[in-house]
Amino acid sequence: MRPEGQRLEALAERLRGVDPVLPSPAGKIRGWNLVAAAVEHSAARRPRGRPAWRLTLAAAAAGVLLALGAVSASANSLPDSPFYPIKGALEQVRGDLAFSPSDRLGFHLDLAQARLTEAEAMIARHRIDLADQALVSMDEQFQEAADVVAAERRAGPALAADLQHRLQQAIESHDRQLAGLQGEVSNPTAQQAIVRARDRAAQVLEGVANNAGNGNPGGNAAGKSQGQGQAQGSGKGSPTAHPTPKK
Amino acid sequence: MARAASDDDRLLIERVRQGDQDAARTLYERYFDRIYNYVYARLGRVEDAEDLAIDTMTRSLTRLDLFHDQGVAFSSWVYRIAHNATIDHYRRQGRVILVSLEHATLPESSDPSELALQQLSNEELREALRQLTDEQQQVLILRFFQDLTAVQVGEIIGKSVGAVQALQHRALASLERALQGKAMQ
Repeated sequence: MRPEGQRLEALAERLRGVDPVLPSPAGKIRGWNLVAAAVEHSAARRPRGRPAWRLTLAAAAAGVLLALGAVSASANSLPDSPFYPIKGALEQVRGDLAFSPSDRLGFHLDLAQARLTEAEAMIARHRIDLADQALVSMDEQFQEAADVVAAERRAGPALAADLQHRLQQAIESHDRQLAGLQGEVSNPTAQQAIVRARDRAAQVLEGVANNAGNGNPGGNAAGKSQGQGQAQGSGKGSPTAHPTPKK
Repeated sequence: MARAASDDDRLLIERVRQGDQDAARTLYERYFDRIYNYVYARLGRVEDAEDLAIDTMTRSLTRLDLFHDQGVAFSSWVYRIAHNATIDHYRRQGRVILVSLEHATLPESSDPSELALQQLSNEELREALRQLTDEQQQVLILRFFQDLTAVQVGEIIGKSVGAVQALQHRALASLERALQGKAMQ
């Protein structure tokens, strides 16, 4: 019997000799078409970097803009932008105009997506504190959405089931995005913030599922009991709909 | 498989950030085959390997803003994303896909302790490799299938060179045991 070192070296050599498995040409072309579309879409919606002098100029110009102009400028603002509080006010108005349960659920899920996008942008800009706040706000929106589902259970179980399905899909989709993000960031604080966000969202999901299983119409699912959200009632007018960073 | 110069990658990355599709195409061509090969070695299914390789390249080329704070080579970052996509795939499946070693047995030899390695097919070796732990698979695939150095592997899996070498030794020993164990049955 050969010594271990020699045997393992032979095994290593054999592994080196394994031919690579290559994708089919058709698969590679399909891949490029998908990647190219994603790259194009990403480039179109990516917020442009703003050097400090441009930010200063923008802030000075904002001072002479009419309120409408400021409102318009806030639409895609991020948590580190001076326009961000206006974005929150606009979201508040939009929430006030969402009357049906389906609209209210959609409203909260849209806000959750917006918070996740903001968190990603803040991580990219090394503003982990603001990213963490955005992720907390994201989970608060999920909790608000869960409250909408719970409230609807009393009035219309069929619609409630549909709403619950939408909420579950949204949380699962966000979790996949967060899992990807978690693998891409190297900052331990950012990673911890993402892990906490995923845990909170999982608790909301669990609370919704438990309520459905128990036939419990009450909306006080897990997230609130953890003391992580300030959500109250079924959403409209909630302070958590406002994306202003908490200091 | 040719290894890309990291400086060249950097230029291309800057161009992709500015929306240059040709630069994205160059990076895609540079890394897609390698990532496909890596994922296939992990999963063993052509369909999954194709989907995850595409997913990895999509994430890599659309999330370049996040690449800023990595402090590692772009290639290492792409492999990390591929690894996480693989783990996520396992999680979504709700189970770890283990391929039976039934067909990965070593041919019988007059000396049962000596591996008749050359008689093993490449696929049999890959199947045996998939029986190892996640870290062991990663190290052997990156070192021997992807032809990366211990330094590069360390950068990808977040370990020192010494730890990678120790892990590689244990992984080879585990692989040998797995193959021998089946051969002796």
